[in-house]
Amino acid sequence: MEPVGRKEELLSRIAVALRGHEANNPASGAAAGSEAAQSVTDRIARFRNMFESQGGNFLAGPSLDPLLPELGEALRISGVTALFSPPGDERARLVAETLVPFGPFRLASPGEIRMVSAPASAGIQTAEFAIAETGTLVQSGQKGKTLLPGLISDVHVAILSPAAFVDRMEECLAALSEDLPRTISFITGPSRTGDIEQTLTIGAHGPKKVIVVLLP
Amino acid sequence: MEPLSRFFYRRSEKALSDATLQASISRTTGKFVGARADSVAAFPGFEAARDEGSRIKRETLDRLDHHLGRFIDEAERRGAVIHAARDGAEAREIAARIAKEEGVTLAVKSKSMVGEEVDLTSALEAAGVEVVESDLGEFIVQLAGEPPSHIIAPAVHKTREQVSRLFVEKLGEPYTDKIPELVAIARRRLREKFLSAGMGVSGANFLCADTGSIALVTNEGNGRMGTILPRVHLVIAGIEKVIPRLSDLPVFLRLLPRSATGQPISTYVSVLTGVKRPEDPEGPEKLHIILLDNGRSGILKGKYRDILKCIRCGACLNICPVYQSVGGHAYGWTYPGPIGSVLTPLMTGLAEGIPLANASTLCGACADVCPVKIPIPGLLLELRADERDRGLKDPAEVFGMKGYAAVMSRAGILEALERIAGVISSVFLKEGKAPWLPFRFSGWTDRRDFPAPAPQPFRKLWKKQRGIRPWNR
Repeated sequence: MEPVGRKEELLSRIAVALRGHEANNPASGAAAGSEAAQSVTDRIARFRNMFESQGGNFLAGPSLDPLLPELGEALRISGVTALFSPPGDERARLVAETLVPFGPFRLASPGEIRMVSAPASAGIQTAEFAIAETGTLVQSGQKGKTLLPGLISDVHVAILSPAAFVDRMEECLAALSEDLPRTISFITGPSRTGDIEQTLTIGAHGPKKVIVVLLP
Repeated sequence: MEPLSRFFYRRSEKALSDATLQASISRTTGKFVGARADSVAAFPGFEAARDEGSRIKRETLDRLDHHLGRFIDEAERRGAVIHAARDGAEAREIAARIAKEEGVTLAVKSKSMVGEEVDLTSALEAAGVEVVESDLGEFIVQLAGEPPSHIIAPAVHKTREQVSRLFVEKLGEPYTDKIPELVAIARRRLREKFLSAGMGVSGANFLCADTGSIALVTNEGNGRMGTILPRVHLVIAGIEKVIPRLSDLPVFLRLLPRSATGQPISTYVSVLTGVKRPEDPEGPEKLHIILLDNGRSGILKGKYRDILKCIRCGACLNICPVYQSVGGHAYGWTYPGPIGSVLTPLMTGLAEGIPLANASTLCGACADVCPVKIPIPGLLLELRADERDRGLKDPAEVFGMKGYAAVMSRAGILEALERIAGVISSVFLKEGKAPWLPFRFSGWTDRRDFPAPAPQPFRKLWKKQRGIRPWNR
């Protein structure tokens, strides 16, 4: 087991190193600039611009029905055959169920998707926040939520409502800090790598496609 | 990792004559430099974020005992087990003990420079654990049995053909020269490992003191999988990674990805706090955090404290004319480029690392791009001064420099020497070049000519044309 006093020893070594060395420049707290309150429409437009420029797909409509053919086609060309949504996420379950006739799809359980030999899948989940500054989706484990749809699926479908959009990461961290979950996952576009010859390649470990479905 | 920095000159020569390596280095650094410049230009808040990030890092270091203490308390309160490691050997011991106690046989590891620094993988392997590097670049260099050559892109020195031959030889996969197919092979092979590993090993980009959280930044998604799916999460982090508050994280996320790859933000940022809660469907049941000193508290003590502000973006590597010429392996230890030229002498010993600090023209490009404003050229000069003070410099060079200073500060002597040099030059030297200097100084002329003194000194020409001595104006 950990010998007692090791952490104390580390901290005292640091304190000794610092002694006699004055803290300098308690400088001005120049923040990165505060912008005026942005309207929801503007936030959504900025999110969409950043999200699409980093490889995300964005669908919006007055209701789910007119979006289904395009969504189904996007999943079909990615080879998706299994759809899954987390338990308790009624909105996502509804999207998954109504989507089944729009491609070679069937509903699957998260447990099935977690297998090594899992079929190509789309994980459908309501996202908690969307950050306009960077085009970033926020999915957390707050209140026992699962992170699997945005983690192990081939296509990640994030359901958003206008209320989920914030300007900056600060706002969503502040909101989540009240009951800080074990995991907060900030997701900006599909999984990518540049590790071979600096060539941008999509689909390293995470989803190869990220689709936002914005519904009123 | 055993340092080989004292062989920098020999290793540089090897790198300079390797054509494949030269092509990879210039492609990588060129792309990174361009992408960084574009993304900084597109973000008006970058300078303000630099000031803010630099200030927060310095203030945190100035009270590191307080902030690290807070981090330890908060992380423990949320279920983490904290281990303090004085040096690399202790970190390896601790990691091996954790793996044994947790009964781990397979671990997936995300990229960690500190992991490289202490050679964590070999320690776990010695404890009977199969360790799979899950970052694609690291996976490739692990298969090749090589160390990484760039902080951000570890396998930049490999071509797609070399990667494919590795996959054929080590994994039995069919040959392909298509990069998406190579990535798909790695995805499939690593997915099996993520789903069955008992432990995920990662570094940390930031440790947030007020919540005990670990922030991890990746593009591939390996950092998330390895820290959400396995039962045990082992983190290794340098003590300087602490930031005071979770709310300080956004400013660093505005700096790090832009400086590293030119992205407005990396694809995945994970904020991980403690262990799995009873209501959570996934997440690690055990969280071990190794806080590594390994010489950092010694650096904190003195005039090099600012180097500990580094957030490991790699921007100084890409912009550096020396790194652009020789690549990462020539530096001979974990941290290459300008940041490595300061860290290596401080962490492995002055005699071992000083060739790196001397191999710089002090052009200042690294300081210009540093997102947390580390004055790297000034620190390199300090190291050279330390080298002289400790008597490690060649006495002939010290003597020569003293003579040079004496001559340059006395106009009469300089003028007399210039006249003599002018005569020698016009009588003995061809085409205005001195092809060699006497042997103590031959290092300057082994690979290039020394410009010969002009027949007429500049100041004489000036006096003739302007009728005044330039130093009397």
